Amino acid sequence: MDVWQQFIILLEGVPLTLSISIFSFLIGIVVGLPLAFIRVYEKEISFVVDAYEKIFRGVPEIVLLLLFFFGLRPFFPFPFGNAFFVACFVLGLRSAANQSQIYRGAIRGVGDEQMIAGMSVGFSKWRAIWYIMIPQVFNFSTSGLGSEYALLIKDSAYVYVIGLAEVMTRSLQLAKSGPGDYVTPFVLGAAIYIALTFPFAFWLDKWGNKRKKKIGL
Amino acid sequence: MLEFLFNPMHQGWIVQGLFLTVEITLFGVLLGLGLGTLLAIGDIYGKKPVKAAIAVYVEIFRGSPLFVQLFLAVYTVPTILNLQIDHAILAFLVFGLNSAGYQKGYVKGAMETILDDQMQAGLSTGMSKIQTLRYVILPQAYRIVIPSWTNEFCSLTKSTATLGYLGFMDLVGAGLAIKGSNYEILPVWIVIGAIYFVWITGFAKIMDVIYEKKRIPGVELAMQS
Repeated sequence: MDVWQQFIILLEGVPLTLSISIFSFLIGIVVGLPLAFIRVYEKEISFVVDAYEKIFRGVPEIVLLLLFFFGLRPFFPFPFGNAFFVACFVLGLRSAANQSQIYRGAIRGVGDEQMIAGMSVGFSKWRAIWYIMIPQVFNFSTSGLGSEYALLIKDSAYVYVIGLAEVMTRSLQLAKSGPGDYVTPFVLGAAIYIALTFPFAFWLDKWGNKRKKKIGL
Repeated sequence: MLEFLFNPMHQGWIVQGLFLTVEITLFGVLLGLGLGTLLAIGDIYGKKPVKAAIAVYVEIFRGSPLFVQLFLAVYTVPTILNLQIDHAILAFLVFGLNSAGYQKGYVKGAMETILDDQMQAGLSTGMSKIQTLRYVILPQAYRIVIPSWTNEFCSLTKSTATLGYLGFMDLVGAGLAIKGSNYEILPVWIVIGAIYFVWITGFAKIMDVIYEKKRIPGVELAMQS
């Protein structure tokens, strides 16, 4: 098989890599934002968030994938029998733990004054968070989110262990099926990953700086 | 449920796996610190080509998954060099080189918070540039960098979980081996996960205490990725 054919086979794995990363990223936003606000504004229950973050930052992604996929599949075949679901679930919840910390820094960046101002004109706490804080939080978290996205693309390679045919898995299959040529598939695979991570993180950082300039920061 | 914990053979595997995980992480993170420091110095003082080379190095090691880098090293380097190299050494090198890509950023950030004033002060007392770096800047930079270094240690520990899939007997490798012997799988992975959790969280706690003891009052690394 020549290089070009191998490259095409690897490229066919890109949609899966990207969709796992993007779904996980979205789960991370949906779960991570509330966690960050609970951590900052609901001091009484913030220990739950703390424990959540510690667990997801303290256990390797591979072990979590194996645990949820092979461990829980016999008991809950419906959601956990689907490898794609498990991949997004685990990487998404892990990402939420990271994103929660990014947003916490951003909330500090937006500043408490705005929250107080909102409440003084009659917003409730959660309405002020929704209408005043959340729209601004993203301006302050672009560089963190950029590296989180790159991290997710790279971590999506771990789903090899539950058998999804994304770029990493395909590289390995090519390497093992080919006539002893291990170099090409992995070099191509690594190049694809670099091409996927670098531009977006770069662009997001630029966008954030522009936004900050526009609103005068 | 937890029969496998009382089987001496499986206990042995888990202990062996923990040792390998800890060992390769420690060596990797220390190699990364040394190399990362050199890269940081090169990035601050180097000429344009040096800086460009360092940027490419960092982009390669930070832009591709460690999993791919490991497979690439273990499968291809012996073929290319036509040499039999111990896989453990290759894995250790990959972890070190990869970690250096990340730690370069942390060390550079720490150096930059103290660099300008103190470098001038050092030079004005008659020390050379290298002496100032060695005796003034770096000792402080290492104190500032402890929290980011701890993060890097934790994430590198988690990355070593890939080793089990390259045939090493690390904690995941132990789990995979135990899984082969007909037990329920869920408890095995819960126990393995718990061991990682205790080791990583405990280590981070210890480093926090050390940081509190060693921190330089008033100087803190600005949050950066």
